[in-house]
Amino acid sequence: MNRKSKPSKPNTLRRFALIAASIIFAFSSSSCSKDIPSTEVLPPVTPANADANAGSWKMIVLSGPTQVPVTVPAPTNDPGYQSELATIKTAQASLTDTQKTAITYWSSGGVLRWNEIMRELVARSDLPPSPNPDGSYPVPNPANPFANPQYPFSNPPYAARAYSNVAVAQFEALKVAWYYKFLYNRPSPSKVDTSIKSLMPTTNVPSYPSEDAVEAGVNAALLTLLFPTSVDEINAKAAEQQQAALLSGRASPSDIAAGVALGNAVAAIIANRAASDGMKAAGGTPAIWQALADGATARGEIPWISQDGPPRPPMLPLFGQVKAWMLTPTDIVNERATPPPSTSSTQMKTETAEVLNTVNNLTRDQLATVYKWADGVSTPTPSGHWDAIAAPYISAASYSEVRSARVYALLNMALHDAGVACWDTKYFYFNPRPSQLDPEIKTQTGLPNFPSYVSGHSDFSAAAADVLSYLFPDGATNFSALKQEAALSRLYGGIHYRSDIEVGIAQGQRIGEYTVRFAKSDGAN
Amino acid sequence: MIPPITASRHNPHKQTLASICFALLVLLFRPLHAQTIDDGIMLADKTLCAGALYTHDSWDHYWEGNLERVNGNIGTITTQSITMAANYGVTSWFDAIVNVPYIWTNASKGVLHGQAGFQDLTLAAKFKAISIPVKQFGALRGIAVLSGTLPMTNYTPDLQPLSLGANSKTISGRTTLNFLGKRGLYVNGTAAYTFRGNVTLDRPYYFTNNQLYLSNEVAMPNQFNFGTSVGYRKNNLEIVGDYSQQQTRGGGDIRPQDTPFVSNRTNFSKAGATFKIPVPKLRNIQYWLLYSNTFQGRNVGQANTITTGLMYTLSFEKRAKP
Repeated sequence: MNRKSKPSKPNTLRRFALIAASIIFAFSSSSCSKDIPSTEVLPPVTPANADANAGSWKMIVLSGPTQVPVTVPAPTNDPGYQSELATIKTAQASLTDTQKTAITYWSSGGVLRWNEIMRELVARSDLPPSPNPDGSYPVPNPANPFANPQYPFSNPPYAARAYSNVAVAQFEALKVAWYYKFLYNRPSPSKVDTSIKSLMPTTNVPSYPSEDAVEAGVNAALLTLLFPTSVDEINAKAAEQQQAALLSGRASPSDIAAGVALGNAVAAIIANRAASDGMKAAGGTPAIWQALADGATARGEIPWISQDGPPRPPMLPLFGQVKAWMLTPTDIVNERATPPPSTSSTQMKTETAEVLNTVNNLTRDQLATVYKWADGVSTPTPSGHWDAIAAPYISAASYSEVRSARVYALLNMALHDAGVACWDTKYFYFNPRPSQLDPEIKTQTGLPNFPSYVSGHSDFSAAAADVLSYLFPDGATNFSALKQEAALSRLYGGIHYRSDIEVGIAQGQRIGEYTVRFAKSDGAN
Repeated sequence: MIPPITASRHNPHKQTLASICFALLVLLFRPLHAQTIDDGIMLADKTLCAGALYTHDSWDHYWEGNLERVNGNIGTITTQSITMAANYGVTSWFDAIVNVPYIWTNASKGVLHGQAGFQDLTLAAKFKAISIPVKQFGALRGIAVLSGTLPMTNYTPDLQPLSLGANSKTISGRTTLNFLGKRGLYVNGTAAYTFRGNVTLDRPYYFTNNQLYLSNEVAMPNQFNFGTSVGYRKNNLEIVGDYSQQQTRGGGDIRPQDTPFVSNRTNFSKAGATFKIPVPKLRNIQYWLLYSNTFQGRNVGQANTITTGLMYTLSFEKRAKP
């Protein structure tokens, strides 16, 4: 046996200890908590203002609050109502931990929570269909949503429309609810009977119909239409919100029943509008796709082609004809961006060269901006990103539910309208992406499967920043910076020319102003 | 304690030492694994084994969850790396190991930009726990390894499968049982458990495992690896067949038609072979060639991986006493 001479034992032990200790120290920071939040930590909201006149705020789709009748509630001394109170007392005596958690969760405001839930639904459904073996692509089928590919593919236009329909329905329904609340003035159970504990922040808002139930009714009805595969989760959340309102002493069973009925009724009105808003035809047909390319060729331009492998039909080419909220079809055409630089122009060559140079010389900070704003597959999309940006402002403002709903309605109407105007422009010009004009350009994020001009991120972000700056003037600097960052991220990512971005921002701002003009005159100021 | 493993007429010790080095297998978007970390062999004290290894890893078929498919948006993903590797025998029972890989990634189809840069520094401390002579046949060794990886640059983990890696700090414990026969029979069994630190993304939310997380921080599931090798190893020559598996203890599947996500459940089985051949007339230099094929997996590519390079062994003790 051959042996190496051994160093003295204390020496080796010291070395061993030193190295082991330094390795453990170096990696100790990797052993931190693995608990990652899946809901926003929001404080309970105690509205600073009851917004007693919200029943008279201007409607968007409804003719007025009385379009949806809500019957007179029983008086608080009615035996039926008294037995409802007894139910609450019994339930409060034995609250489970799950119920307490639900009360805390919903006390941050149902409007904020439902938007958070919807962002998750959008991200879950934001998956483009996989190609068939023959290179064609299946189309998600709303009549069979669980089949492969699942319905829907909640891409940015689908999501913008979805967020706006839910937000508008919720806002309209809450204005109706406020009208009846202050018409009937039924107090909350914890105010009628002081032996009922108030486990959510108390408000001066009357209880009938319950705003929590209105939100649950609207959201359950519309979200199950928009995201049918998540039906169980949606209904569970709606039931939980109603139960939290009851258990917290905020609403009685009859307050809740009236709220759910109201929410469902308004959701049906909005769903009816959505059924005929043009979305069903927005995917176009092979003949339409070809005509778009032929049109660009006839104008002497290089038409956009899909760079997906295999080539994929363009995303919702007729979304530009989907009904907007604040713009008429004529407005959409009037707001169409002026033509992009010709694909054969010197300017286009210069801009293409800028993209190549940018994408090949990114700083780490620029790359971080690309990822921050990627908003691609499996994300809440740009609209959801801006909703998330708005959330802390809404929470910090301690708004009533109806005023919180107003923020999301205004914001998401502007986002949807910007999407419509942007898609109209994109498909009117059918302009190629930088990586099509110069195959040397490799992108730092997924390449969206639709024409380049104008940038959707720029359009969405400018409209959103415009509306949010009106609603939260203190945040205007931040919103403007985020808008610029979102827009430029598309140049850094190698998927847009500078002119796509600049013209997109200008268009988004103009579209946002339509909503701001409505907001200035809706009676909520 | 190092039993006499090989004998050569020029320099028994050096020949022995030269054959004790490490190989690298590039696992799909995972840190590199140096084979010395996995094997049951120790360097003699005051001996350095160092060199450069080139690895070429490519796949076009991959498992999206359990679905085997190709993807026209990426074509073939090729990952190349050059790893500077060093293993130093501090004592006869303690080796210190360092790996520094530089990586390039590329997709043959689609428009996605390849990435390049330094990936994760690997540091390892390898301890010989037991060494039992088995009569006249050879010796059985038990080895314990504590290793960790540390990202050397702030590369993004969010452009899978083109990211350089997961950008996660990891710490790993490993035990290895090895039998080396006097006539060259080499049998090795090794198992490791790796704790992986949370990863930070550049975005405020992400969707994985059927859930939207409202954070830029991603919890990384831990991993269990085990492998076995059987072959011949004598006179500075090594010819060994390898089989290994990885099981990730959590994480979601790649979503349909989506890109992989950093915390995906990446499982695989791979098989391959290792050749370490002394370079004629160049003392102390050994040529390495390693091949492996991922033949079963989940959320990984069906990778073919080739590693090749030269490793040089230097004994400081010899120099001090010429």
